[in-house]
Amino acid sequence: MRHSIQNRLLVTSTCVLGIFLAITGWVLDRSFQTSVITGAEEQLRLVIYSLMGSVEEQGGQLLVNNSLSEPRLTQPDSGLYAKVADDLSQDIWRSPSAVTTNVMFPQVDAEPGVFVFSELGGSHPRFFLSYTVIWEGADTEQVIFSAATDQQPFRVSIAQFRRSLGLGLGAGTLVFILAQLLALRWGLTPLRSMAQEVQALESGEREALSGGYPRELQGLAENLEKFVEHEKRSRSRYRNALEDLAHSLKTPLAVVRNSLLEVTLDKVLLGEQLDRMETTVTHQLSKASASGPATVGKSVVLADVAERLLRALDRAYADRGIQVDIELDKQVVARGDERDMLEILGNLLENAFKYTHKKVRVEICWAQNEQYSKVPCVLIEDDGRGIPIELREDVLNRGHRLDELESGQGIGLAVVNELVQLYDGRLEIGDSELGGAKVSVYLV
Amino acid sequence: MRILIVEDEENIRQQLGKHLQGQGFAIDLAADGEEGLYYGREYDYDAAVVDLGLPKIDGIDLITRLRKEKRSFPILVLTARGHWQDKVQGLEAGADDYLAKPFQMEELVARLNALIRRTAGYASPVLSQGDLQLDTAKKEVRVSGGAVELTAYEYKVLEYLMLNPDRVVSKSELTDHLYDQDFDRDSNVIEVFVGRLRKKIVPVDLIRTVRGQGYRFVADS
Repeated sequence: MRHSIQNRLLVTSTCVLGIFLAITGWVLDRSFQTSVITGAEEQLRLVIYSLMGSVEEQGGQLLVNNSLSEPRLTQPDSGLYAKVADDLSQDIWRSPSAVTTNVMFPQVDAEPGVFVFSELGGSHPRFFLSYTVIWEGADTEQVIFSAATDQQPFRVSIAQFRRSLGLGLGAGTLVFILAQLLALRWGLTPLRSMAQEVQALESGEREALSGGYPRELQGLAENLEKFVEHEKRSRSRYRNALEDLAHSLKTPLAVVRNSLLEVTLDKVLLGEQLDRMETTVTHQLSKASASGPATVGKSVVLADVAERLLRALDRAYADRGIQVDIELDKQVVARGDERDMLEILGNLLENAFKYTHKKVRVEICWAQNEQYSKVPCVLIEDDGRGIPIELREDVLNRGHRLDELESGQGIGLAVVNELVQLYDGRLEIGDSELGGAKVSVYLV
Repeated sequence: MRILIVEDEENIRQQLGKHLQGQGFAIDLAADGEEGLYYGREYDYDAAVVDLGLPKIDGIDLITRLRKEKRSFPILVLTARGHWQDKVQGLEAGADDYLAKPFQMEELVARLNALIRRTAGYASPVLSQGDLQLDTAKKEVRVSGGAVELTAYEYKVLEYLMLNPDRVVSKSELTDHLYDQDFDRDSNVIEVFVGRLRKKIVPVDLIRTVRGQGYRFVADS
């Protein structure tokens, strides 16, 4: 069993959603981390600015006023530390917070006027910012302001953010999958019920589909219905043909069996009965083996069928020197099976070739039916003896009275007539201007 | 006339063979497509009867292959189903006529005769050359309107020569086409038949002897 449509859609959309959420999570996490670190840098920058404002020069000596605006610098172990150093990295001032805590301020060799930010690892990871200035009038040429803050509070907030992000995205995914599952179940319900109905059709519990399917399935449902209808018609045609066959064969078989009881074998009678049986078999089998109108979009170009047959008949009737006048419209198509069309046209053309004196005329064109819509039309004429008016009905309906058929009579036209009727078409016999019969077939 | 019959149904094959022999044809019987192809390649026939549903090589395939190998003798196809699809396919493959089963032997013989005649260029079943007329349907020969009594073999020799006019026909070709395979080829019966024929169809003098080669039937100009 292949994967169900529901599973295919679910797996695909869940995979796509997973990838999308992973990318989203990664981007959000990166943005938040960057903004937190930028915040830390900004905080350190403010500390450096406030330090710079607190420095005073007294006789070449630089002094830092301890009344700082940032109270955390004065609290020991507060997590925020600062230092002012000369160009030889000798401490000029160290914040009280950094006095008890041994804070390592790395030596930075930077251009004056440039902030240098870095992250320091070790057992106490910290963010570190330094700024070098040229202090005119002081003993030292350059003054380096440094500030550092513990990373831990920032890392805690990043971790918190990650946790909430993960929870949020996870919940979103679950809700999405659930919604998807419900939508799929709802969306595929018509397909499921169609499958059940087809199964019921197959097992004979149902006669037809219930209808009322969504637009997307309407075409499929209609075609399925036509197909089922076609199958049913074929089945009943086979059954009828077999019943007819059995029925029509019984009479001649009885005659033959009884004739065996006679002292002398009546060959003429036997021949007649055999002919009857042969005609019956040919007729019923061609009726049963016809496919009937095509259920789905199958169409046959009648001109191609006629040309194929004419080429073949020309070969078989080569010695008759029959002159064939053709007028074939290549656009004319009939919805049906090519074999049926070969059978209809083949029998009619063969009759024309058989009974003509010299001339046969074949025309394939569009005609109008009573409802004024276009129907494919086949006209076949010859210059033979024609079919007398009083016999026309009989010739076409022979199939109905097959038991009473005289031996040796052809059944071509009756077979064609039944095939044409199978296609809801019409067959007419008339007089041709050529002098013989004119057979017109109007298909649907 | 020598006919190849390719038919897998034992009963029909034997019936066909017997009936055609009775009608004066020399016959070869093949039970499947492969055997049919072998005979068709090896021997020259005046016509062949080929059933479409054959084992080993299908009838359509057999005809296509024979035609591809330039074997041009006329072929009559037999179809069991009688569908036009089969008939058209047979004719498209290179057959010349078709007959649906069950068929009447008379119909088959008439069709075969017509095919052989058609191949020789005669339109009518009565072959006419000057005052000589040979009716292939009734198997009758007339000279200037008067009936001539011929034996079966004399008739066959005359028919074969008339169907192959203006061409030198050797004695061995005549024996090939008139007798079944096991005929004794050294026999000089052909000379005897031709001699008798010449006497019987006097005053017509249409059968010429081509020294060392055979006979030629001189057609009307």
